[in-house]
Amino acid sequence: MNRPDAARGRARDPRLSPAQKARILRDCSFLGTAEDGVLEALVEVTVTREVAVDETVVSKGEPGTSMYFIASGTVRVHDGDAVLAQLGPGEVFGEMAVLDADVRSASVTAESPVLLLALERDDLWRVVSSRPESLKTIIAAVLQRERGIVRDVTERTRQVLAFEKEMEIGRRIQADFLPEAVPQADGWDIAAHFEAARVVAGDFYDVFELKPSHHLAIVIGDVCDKGVGAALFMTLFRSLIRATSLSGFLKRGAGLADGDSAEQVRQVLLDSVETTNRYVATTHSRSSMFASVFFGVLDPAGGDLLYINAGHESPMIFGPGGRHEVLEVTGGVVGLFPFARFGVAATRLQPGDLMFAYTDGVNEAKNEVGGQFTEQGILDAAAAGQADSDSFLGQVLKGVHAFRGAAPQSDDITMLAVRRIFY
Amino acid sequence: MSAMSILVGQEQGNVPVTVLKIEGDIDAGTYKALQDKASEVIEAGAANILLDLGQVEYMGSAGFRAIHAIANMLNTEGEEGMYRSRHVKLLNPRGEVARVIKTLGFDSFLEIHDDRAAAIASF
Repeated sequence: MNRPDAARGRARDPRLSPAQKARILRDCSFLGTAEDGVLEALVEVTVTREVAVDETVVSKGEPGTSMYFIASGTVRVHDGDAVLAQLGPGEVFGEMAVLDADVRSASVTAESPVLLLALERDDLWRVVSSRPESLKTIIAAVLQRERGIVRDVTERTRQVLAFEKEMEIGRRIQADFLPEAVPQADGWDIAAHFEAARVVAGDFYDVFELKPSHHLAIVIGDVCDKGVGAALFMTLFRSLIRATSLSGFLKRGAGLADGDSAEQVRQVLLDSVETTNRYVATTHSRSSMFASVFFGVLDPAGGDLLYINAGHESPMIFGPGGRHEVLEVTGGVVGLFPFARFGVAATRLQPGDLMFAYTDGVNEAKNEVGGQFTEQGILDAAAAGQADSDSFLGQVLKGVHAFRGAAPQSDDITMLAVRRIFY
Repeated sequence: MSAMSILVGQEQGNVPVTVLKIEGDIDAGTYKALQDKASEVIEAGAANILLDLGQVEYMGSAGFRAIHAIANMLNTEGEEGMYRSRHVKLLNPRGEVARVIKTLGFDSFLEIHDDRAAAIASF
C-alpha cells in the first residue's frame, strides 16, 4: 500500500513491528473491547510519530484529521496556561475532532519525548465500513470518555459550589464590618452606599458614636488591591481605627466635656491613625498592603469637623450659594511606613452643607472606551442640588451608571454623604 | 494588556548603585516583573537601587506595593523602622505619577531626585 499521504510517509516507522503496534493498541483503554480483526485492521493503517518535548501536537481551534494513541511519554491537554489533563501511555487524544469533523477543542503538548500512533479520519471510517462491528468499540470508547468527563465536571462543579459558599460566608462576615445602619445625630442626615466589584471588597466605611462624647466618627477607606487579600486587610484597618478611637474617647471621657475638646479630639485622631499605621506597617510589613483613609470626627452640636486625610480622595463639601470646598490630603497612606506622620485639618459644616466622601470606584469608574468619570462627573451630578443625603448619593450613582454604560464595574464603589440640615 | 520593560545599569558613586530604568506602566499586570527583576539584582549582590521612573506614564497601587517591597528587601537588620530608605531612591517621576507619589505619601519615605548624577552620588 503506497498512499500519497505526507503524514504517513513521514511517520511510517520501521522500528515498530506490526506486533508491537498491536500491543500498543491493545493496551489502549479506548480499544479495550475491540475484536482482534479490528485491531489488525488498525495496525495496518496507523503510523508512528515521534514528538519532542514541548512540541504541540494539536492546537485548539484548528481543524484536525488525526487521532492519537500514546505508546510512551506524557502529554498535557491544555487551553493556554490552563492544564485540563495529563495523559500517558495507553491513552488517546484527538478523537473528538476526528469523529465529528469539528475543530480541536483543546491543545495537546508533549511533556516528555512521546511516541504516538496516529490514525487518520479516512482510515478510521474505512475500517468501520469494512467491519461494522468495530463501531460498537468506538461508541463504547466514546461513551466511556463521556462518562469520565461527566464525573469530572460534576466533581469540579461541586468544588466550585463549595468555594462559592465559602466566599458567600466571607461576604456575609465582611458585611458585619460595615455599620448595619448609619447612626444619625439631631440636625444631621447621614447616608452611605456600598457596592463591591467582587464578592468581597477592600473598601470600607464606618460611622459611629464616640461615647461617652456626642462626637461622631466618619470613616471611609480603600485598601489597595482587590478580592480576598484586600478584604482581610479591610477588616483589620476598620477594626483598628474603631478600637483605637473608641478607646481614646473612653479614656478622655471627662476631658472632652471641657473647653479644649478640639485639642483632645485632635490627639485621639492622631493616636488612632498613627497606631493603626504603625501596627500594620510593622506587623504586616511583608504584605506591603496599605489603605487610603479619610477619618473625620464631627461635633454635631456646632458642625466642627476635624479630620485626617491619609492619601485618600479628597471629600468635597457642597453648600448653599454655590459653596464648594475640597478637604485636603493631610498625610500619606496608612500601613506602609511605621514612622509616617499625619496632619489634622479642620473645617466646619454650616447648615445646608453636604460633605461627600467617596472611594476611587467613583471618580475612576471607566466607560467602554476607557474614559474616567473623574471629579468633574461628581461635580456635574452634584449640580442638580440635593433634597437629602440619600438622594444626593442616588444622583452620583446614577451619573456613574450612565457614564459606565455597558462597561463592567471595575472597582468597589463606596460613598458617604453627611448633610447638616438647614432649619 | 500594558507593556513594561526594565533596563538594568551599573553605576559607581560612593558605593555601587544599580539603576533600574523602567519604561511603560507599572500596574497589576507588570509589577511582578519589576519585583522579580529587583530580587534578581539583589540576589546578584546589588545593595543600592535607583528606580528611574522618567519613562513611566502610569503607576497603580500594585506599583507602589512593589516599590515598598523592594525597599523592604534592602532594609538591613535594624533598619525596618527607618524613616527614609537609604537603599532605594526614585529618579524623575513625572506628571500623574509624581502627583500620586505625593498623595500616597511616598515622597516622605523615599528620596526623589531629578538629576541622575546627583541621585547616584547621594547613596
